[in-house]
Amino acid sequence: MNDERLQILLHRADDAADAPVITGVSAARIRQRIRRTRTIRVAVPLAAAAVMTVAAAILTLRKQGQPPLPQAQPERIASLEEQVKQLKTQTDATLKLVQEVLQRDRQQQRLAALEAELASIPDPVRQMQQQVDKTAFLLIYQADRLYKELNQTESAVAAYKEVIQLFPTNRWADVARERLSQIEQRQINKSDDKGEAKCEPRNV
Amino acid sequence: MSAMARTSEELDLAAQFRRGDDSAFDRIVEQHAAEVAALANRLLGWPTDVDDIVQEVFLSAFLGLRRFRGECRLRTWLFTITVNKCRSLRLRRRRPVFRAIADPEPAACLGVGGDRALMDEETFARVRRAVRALPRKCREVTVLRYLQGLETKEICELLGITANTMQVRLNRARARLREQLGDLLEDRP
Repeated sequence: MNDERLQILLHRADDAADAPVITGVSAARIRQRIRRTRTIRVAVPLAAAAVMTVAAAILTLRKQGQPPLPQAQPERIASLEEQVKQLKTQTDATLKLVQEVLQRDRQQQRLAALEAELASIPDPVRQMQQQVDKTAFLLIYQADRLYKELNQTESAVAAYKEVIQLFPTNRWADVARERLSQIEQRQINKSDDKGEAKCEPRNV
Repeated sequence: MSAMARTSEELDLAAQFRRGDDSAFDRIVEQHAAEVAALANRLLGWPTDVDDIVQEVFLSAFLGLRRFRGECRLRTWLFTITVNKCRSLRLRRRRPVFRAIADPEPAACLGVGGDRALMDEETFARVRRAVRALPRKCREVTVLRYLQGLETKEICELLGITANTMQVRLNRARARLREQLGDLLEDRP
């Protein structure tokens, strides 16, 4: 199996596939995602800890509330209640933050989905460019075959020139130029060899 | 740009990033996003939508860039992350492996017969199916070698294998592809 041919075949199959869509990739978005992950990583355990503390405080209060309360403890109860209130406020704030982060996350996802939808609408200019690229490639491919397999140098040269003429700025035009210079070089080498052979002294 | 100059520029970028210069990361994403996306797209079997995986690659790169010492090229390092992410994604999805089905009538082929050399979309899809059906290790070397056009040294560095192992995998891949796409690859009398 010809390795070069396999490579060409794979390249053409790859070229024919749709190009990858990467609308949502940008450094800013990645940084934003990292920040969000970090916020959630910090906020969730904090919220959990706050909830646990509130629960523990309520349990303690209840336990203390069961036996008849001594008269000396109302101040302590008041301070504990104050602490519970503070913890509750803290928990509420943390939960609110988590909800906000999640909401922003959902909005981002929706935005990304919309952007992806927008990006999936094919760009006619790009499609045209791909078509041009494909045509230039096919011409090169056929010219290669003409030259390498069928030994039709003139036809191959004409095909390469056609590529250069039709698509002068395309990358395949560069390939065509390279091939033409290779062919030219080979022809010069051949003619040099012939010339040398003719000039050899005839020893009798 | 020479390889040496490129490496030193990449090291500079990593150093700038370590110093807290955010624009360095912007430039890294700008320079390598397309290549990473193309590699991920090929490794995952041309699904086209590779946004998530590319984001994950650069997310890991962002977190690990401080440890990048420039022992290999930045591109190689990013490709290594991409290969690993693609492996995990395929494992997570546990997609059934598509077995390439032999074409009952290989009409369009690369035969010597002139016009027939024009292959249609179905033939290309068949080639992609054949690549997709390759075992993971063979598919990786095939994509890196033939489609990404990487050198043996870079592939070995990237996959952490020796040149011999790479050659063995490549030979196996070629044999499989010959089995599936023989009619497209051989000359016809």
